Amino acid sequence: MADEKNTKAYVYMNGRVVGTVAKPLELVEEIRSARRRGMLSGEINVSYSDGLNAVSINTDRGRIRKPYIIVENGKAKLTNDIIEKIKSKEINFNYLLRNGIVEYLDAEEEENMLVALSEAEITEKHTHLEVDISSIFGFTVNTSPYPEHNSLARHAMLANFAKQAQGLYATNFNQRFDSRAYVLFYPQKPVVSTVAYDTVRMQNHPSGQNFVVALSTYYGYNMADAIVLNRAAVDRGLGRSMFYKTYVDEERRYPGGQRDKFKIPPPTADGYMGEHVYSKLSEDGIIEPEMEVSEGDALIGKVAPPRFLEENLGAGGLEEKVRDDTAVLKTGETGVVDSVVFTESTGATKIVKVRIRSIRIPENGDKFASRHGQKGVVALIVPPEDMPFTEQGIVPDLLLNPHSIPTRLTFGHLLEMLAGKAGSVGGTVVDGTAFAEAGPDRIDAYGKILEAQGFERYGNEILYDGITGMPFKSSLFNGVVYYNRLYHMVSNKIQVRSRGKVQILTHQPTEGKARQGALRFGEMERDALIGYGASLLLKERLLDQSDKAVVLVCKDCGSLGYYDHIKKTMVCPLTKGSSFVEVEISYAFKVLLDEIKSLHIMTSLKLNE
Amino acid sequence: MAEKNNKKYFVEYGEPVGIIAAQSVGEPGTQMILRSFHLAGIESTVATSGLPRIIELVDAKKKPSTPVTYIYLDQKISKNFDRASEMLKKINEVRMSNLARRALENFSKGKIKIVLDKQELESEGLTIRQVAARIEKDMGLDAQPVENGVIVNMHTRNLKEIRNTKIAIMKMLVSGVDGAGKATVRRDDDTGEFYLVSAGSNIEGIMQIDGIDKSKTTTNDVFAVYRLFGIEAARNSLAVELKKTLKEQKISVDERHLNLIADAMTASGSVKGVGRHGLSGEKRSVFARAAYEETLKHLVHAAAFGETDKMRGVTENILVGKQIPIGTGSVKLAIKKEDMSKVMPKK
Repeated sequence: MADEKNTKAYVYMNGRVVGTVAKPLELVEEIRSARRRGMLSGEINVSYSDGLNAVSINTDRGRIRKPYIIVENGKAKLTNDIIEKIKSKEINFNYLLRNGIVEYLDAEEEENMLVALSEAEITEKHTHLEVDISSIFGFTVNTSPYPEHNSLARHAMLANFAKQAQGLYATNFNQRFDSRAYVLFYPQKPVVSTVAYDTVRMQNHPSGQNFVVALSTYYGYNMADAIVLNRAAVDRGLGRSMFYKTYVDEERRYPGGQRDKFKIPPPTADGYMGEHVYSKLSEDGIIEPEMEVSEGDALIGKVAPPRFLEENLGAGGLEEKVRDDTAVLKTGETGVVDSVVFTESTGATKIVKVRIRSIRIPENGDKFASRHGQKGVVALIVPPEDMPFTEQGIVPDLLLNPHSIPTRLTFGHLLEMLAGKAGSVGGTVVDGTAFAEAGPDRIDAYGKILEAQGFERYGNEILYDGITGMPFKSSLFNGVVYYNRLYHMVSNKIQVRSRGKVQILTHQPTEGKARQGALRFGEMERDALIGYGASLLLKERLLDQSDKAVVLVCKDCGSLGYYDHIKKTMVCPLTKGSSFVEVEISYAFKVLLDEIKSLHIMTSLKLNE
Repeated sequence: MAEKNNKKYFVEYGEPVGIIAAQSVGEPGTQMILRSFHLAGIESTVATSGLPRIIELVDAKKKPSTPVTYIYLDQKISKNFDRASEMLKKINEVRMSNLARRALENFSKGKIKIVLDKQELESEGLTIRQVAARIEKDMGLDAQPVENGVIVNMHTRNLKEIRNTKIAIMKMLVSGVDGAGKATVRRDDDTGEFYLVSAGSNIEGIMQIDGIDKSKTTTNDVFAVYRLFGIEAARNSLAVELKKTLKEQKISVDERHLNLIADAMTASGSVKGVGRHGLSGEKRSVFARAAYEETLKHLVHAAAFGETDKMRGVTENILVGKQIPIGTGSVKLAIKKEDMSKVMPKK
């Protein structure tokens, strides 16, 4: 062993050598026992590396640590007596830490230890016992049911989906003015829960609902991660949520004593949008609660001083020139004004917050996901009479394509379906904590509950086609799964344009949803058309439907003519002549010619014919 | 007759072959691993592969990052492993620094003693006497073989001269071909013949050694091929290297696309890259060049020299908004229907 080595071991303190020691294991033991006796801070970790023959002591921050129950002489130090004392609140967790019953190990120290996964497994050699087997997973994984039956890649996905789920994100959501908030109408506790889920009290702010799911295709409408929903369920509030959006505006002060003012802008204001826009504002220029608003309606009327200082002050003492700076409901949005708040900033300027609410009923294109990284987009909402139904008349809320399962290795999803079904018919919450039971044992247990209630033990049932009324040839697996509605909803993303705004400089169409923009026909798309040889289609996309401009080119010199407003004719700047040819060019090219011209370089276009 | 004419070409007139070639290479190229991991092993000559190699070829880098020469041997030698191994000694680039354990300068006596490593000498098939002779012959110095090395008598006590000579001696080529690198013997599994692979690209030097099959020996250094064999060979080398690299990555691209790239890069008579210093930078059209890289440089040059853009390419026509002279835009109406009566003989 190490002590027999004739060279001394280095001792590292937070990565720096602080000395050498002849008997490293004794040092490590000493530090460890001092820590367990409470002589040293419990945040110190010490380990000995046989390969490096070095002791490393770590006291710095940023190490991932985990509690373990200490085992000595083949016996866990956390005895039933102590557990009883904790239950009676005689002692608490800190007592365990201080008295060397539980200690935190970091990844480095853990390497020196032999950790038993369960009490039954402990031998003389073991040094520690896991608090629970499931604690080998982290919190995020442990809040999902049956994580030991799912693949790692899906866990990474479900961690993302959990963040995107709509639910009861805060119980005071009514008092909050988050810039965007999504609140589920009827959030439910999951039928299949886990210890970690309960421990962090997720059931107090749930983010999903228990869906009755059948593994079935539906006329190809749930191919490739599409899902089919039951219209009856949707009409009864399945997945329904409220979307809140807050508009904020402030009466800013500017250098020179000028400031913004909340009011309905006068028609003389620069950028006045027309009377109809401001029609819903009350006298103070702010919209009233419970007012129905739609795209383009003013919410917070505001006038601001002109952007550039003009010398028209004192010109007869007339009305001050102002600019309209009203906050308007953005394109594609509708809703009801939920709440209006007046407040003040730290700089003592007035702030107005207007919260708009609108109901989001699940529709085609909305995204849902189970707690197994199984996401899907609604492709069809079927009337209940056309949905498949069971002998008892149960109609599934959601039809999941069976092809979603085998390639993704999310068997936890199937297990949750079975457990959810058993929990629903048995009237209990089912525990889906990782490794709490072996898979086959779980299936047996759920099967017993199902059989007791007159269901098939593996969750299969004969389903009847809602359209023909005939039973399907094969029985279908169905159950109850906890589904999250994710905040990616079409109603917030949909955008169309055929004609519309163009950029000032280039006369090309604008880009982006907020500007009612077009989709970019980019370089690679251009290459595709060239590659196909469709020259006229390419010209149409890039010229006729973009920045076509007709310019007049002087027949004599090839420069672009301009319009003389006094003589009311076109004039060539060079020859002063007036014989021109009309030429179609892209406006961007005209800008290029102008810019070259601004450098005092003459360009001329030589035209054929 | 019509059938015969149709077989003259395989691609329709006006087909944008360049764009199609670019797309055909570019799309599967996205699947290539950026820096392909090297296979672990003792192989000393691992050529660059994957995307870095494609970039190297297409940019026409003067020196490949990993030059490799495949040296094929004459019939008599190639069948026999021992004889093939002997060829290594003629090719392997051995410098004095590879052989010497240390070099001791005696400034007071004006002598340099080079202590040679016996094992190294043996493995390269050299003797101390030979090394001394080589120093005398190549450097014109007075070198005496001793028991464990060579003593060079400088006949001077100039410090600078002694130090410089020592450095020169250490860099001296003792045996093999300059720039040939270290070679290894490999066996062709199909023919059972042995050939050599060296991590250098001095193909000119290697070709001068007896026992080499000059018709088969080749290198992955396109410029070495160009210097020795000319532009046609360089084109072939380029095409072969592109094909080989893609094949290694199990990417199937029709070889005609790659041939076209190799043709375009060598059409001028020298090997040119496709970037701004090569094909794209030498386009006829001012606008096409300005639209790519270094916009200002090309516009300023055009202004200073009064260049005219003939508007015959694709890029410049898209820029101004004209129909492109490619595909359906490559044909023009020769005569209007109304004007036909003027040309047609009256009935």
